[in-house]
Amino acid sequence: MKKIKQFNAAENAFLVEDGLSPEQDVKETASLKSILLKLLNEYTIVWIVILTGLILFISNEHFGTVGNLTSVLRQSAFVGIGAVGMTFVIMGGGIDLSVPGIVSLTAVIGAFLMPVAGVVVGLLAALLCGIFLGLINGMVIMRLKIPPFVATLGTGYVYLSIVFMITNEQVVMVNSPIILNVGMGSLLGIPIPFIILIACTLLCSFLSKCSRYGRLVRSIGSSLNATRAAGISVNRVTIFSYMVLGLLTALTGVILSGYLSSANGNMGTGYDLNTIAAAVVGGTSLQGGKGSFVGTLAGALFFSMISNALDLFGVGSYWQYVATGSVIIFAITLDGLKAKYKSHA
Amino acid sequence: MANAQAISKGTKNEKGSNGGVLKIAQQAQNLSVLLFLVLLYVVVGILNPNYISGDNLANIIVETAILAVVAYGMTFAIAMGVFDLSVGSIQALCASVVATMLMTHGIITSIGIALVVGFLIGIVNGVLISKLRVPAFVATLGTMSVVRGAALLYTDGVSILIKNQSFGAFNTRSILGIPLPIMIAVVILIVLWAIFKHTPFGRHIAAVGGNPNAAVAAGLNVDRITIIVFGIVGLTAAFSGVMLSSQLMNVTGSMGMGLEMNAIAAVVLGGTSMQGGRGSLVGTLVGAFLLSSISTALDILNIPSFFQYLATGLLLIGALSLDSARRQLIKSLLRRSART
Repeated sequence: MKKIKQFNAAENAFLVEDGLSPEQDVKETASLKSILLKLLNEYTIVWIVILTGLILFISNEHFGTVGNLTSVLRQSAFVGIGAVGMTFVIMGGGIDLSVPGIVSLTAVIGAFLMPVAGVVVGLLAALLCGIFLGLINGMVIMRLKIPPFVATLGTGYVYLSIVFMITNEQVVMVNSPIILNVGMGSLLGIPIPFIILIACTLLCSFLSKCSRYGRLVRSIGSSLNATRAAGISVNRVTIFSYMVLGLLTALTGVILSGYLSSANGNMGTGYDLNTIAAAVVGGTSLQGGKGSFVGTLAGALFFSMISNALDLFGVGSYWQYVATGSVIIFAITLDGLKAKYKSHA
Repeated sequence: MANAQAISKGTKNEKGSNGGVLKIAQQAQNLSVLLFLVLLYVVVGILNPNYISGDNLANIIVETAILAVVAYGMTFAIAMGVFDLSVGSIQALCASVVATMLMTHGIITSIGIALVVGFLIGIVNGVLISKLRVPAFVATLGTMSVVRGAALLYTDGVSILIKNQSFGAFNTRSILGIPLPIMIAVVILIVLWAIFKHTPFGRHIAAVGGNPNAAVAAGLNVDRITIIVFGIVGLTAAFSGVMLSSQLMNVTGSMGMGLEMNAIAAVVLGGTSMQGGRGSLVGTLVGAFLLSSISTALDILNIPSFFQYLATGLLLIGALSLDSARRQLIKSLLRRSART
């Protein structure tokens, strides 16, 4: 709660800086009821996650076990970390389909370098590689002026082919105890990947709300031309978003390679659409301009919970496709209807 | 809105003075794709003469037809400014439907049922997008997953062998010396082209893609257009599923994964702009032919299949750079004419 207040204060400071009304008095007199309504409105997905968790906890005795909860949190991190980066990109009106390529390529580079050059060098190389691949994506989109959907579809193909080329379509083993521990271990009972996810979410949420960059991303997402006309270097901001996504995707790649204790060209399959789904279900609009990092975190948790629940209830993996798809459509329909209701009211 | 009108007027006036340059720029992409094709056939033909043998060409034609049919539907969607990610799943489900139906029913009935299934899924997509206001990307992402699950459940994860031999002859038969698959691809092309270019509905698709707000303002029933377009996409995906099952005679619920990306690639390589408002069905056929030629060439040269990714990726970026360069050229020409 304290943190939220700090965020608000900082936001107001920026609003003042921009010469807009800070609406200070309105916030101070806001009743508990309106705060609750606001919470209910803005974090629909958070409530859905809590509700789903409660239902599962009551209906299945295995769901609440420490082992299972740990596994749910861990699984959510693999999608969540990338999804946090994806939130920046989508908020700025873009999209990135090259995530599977970046996950595999960075994981493989890390796995190759670590035995030779040490963990630190390998990790740094993987992360730098992720940033670089994000830079390429951003350049292709902004400099060559190619729509992000097809641009990253193209670069994703190229990244994947590079992975297969350097691995010769083989699996690369990961032996470094540190990386294995990052992927599989826990700290104070909380899985390390989930701790990293929380850290990334907080950091990005802060960046989005309290930095000039965050405001510019939103502004670009809601109106590219207006932002450009205001003299903002749109290219630089957008390219930076793709680099952030590249970095976080590389982080996912390394953690995932630790969890699987191997890296290969197929390990990232499906990560593009999964990360997009987590962000979108979390309330980030594909139209750009609107995004919530807490929502994305909840979205990742939600998908991980659903797939865990389907496993627990012994539902076959085929039904998981049906459930996942229906959940995506349902969540977005709900959001759309809410917006419709609001605009009528 | 007034601005948009001014721009479109500008383009019309432009045709008089700078029309030649614009036309050349517009053709540059098509030409480069054709040039690439010729080069591919010459080089691979020299490296391995089997590539240009009758058998292999027939194989390429069948593959082209299967991809082209679904890419036609995607061309409609992209001309309207949206994507359909569910085509691969629809293809798999409809192929499974046709395979199981053939056990008990005739060929015509089986194909008919499969097409109806595909069409209905497309309609569902359209309703989600237009009536429930779900963005097309998310809606079709959802149905992609749901329909994939349905296909896997329907086949129970095992592959279904098709024993009806006359159904399999579908792809090898030829009429008047023209292989049936290419015949189908061309007939569907002509029908869809006629719809796209010569009916009010076709012009409405382009209008919605070019400027959705203007289309609404002009009184077009955007919801209805969206639903029909996604119905057509579903129908074409179902048709390609029928053709694929007749080629393989062996259907699984996991076939057609990644088809959506291939179809989008074929459309883009064919010169349809990602900005919406324009679409080239003939270009899509050429794009599908290009992709099938590359995959077969890699097969025949024993090059690992992942080079297909590299080729597709680089081609996509190359083609799109040309597309954006063309748009830049048009923009600068417009600006110049506005100054004078």
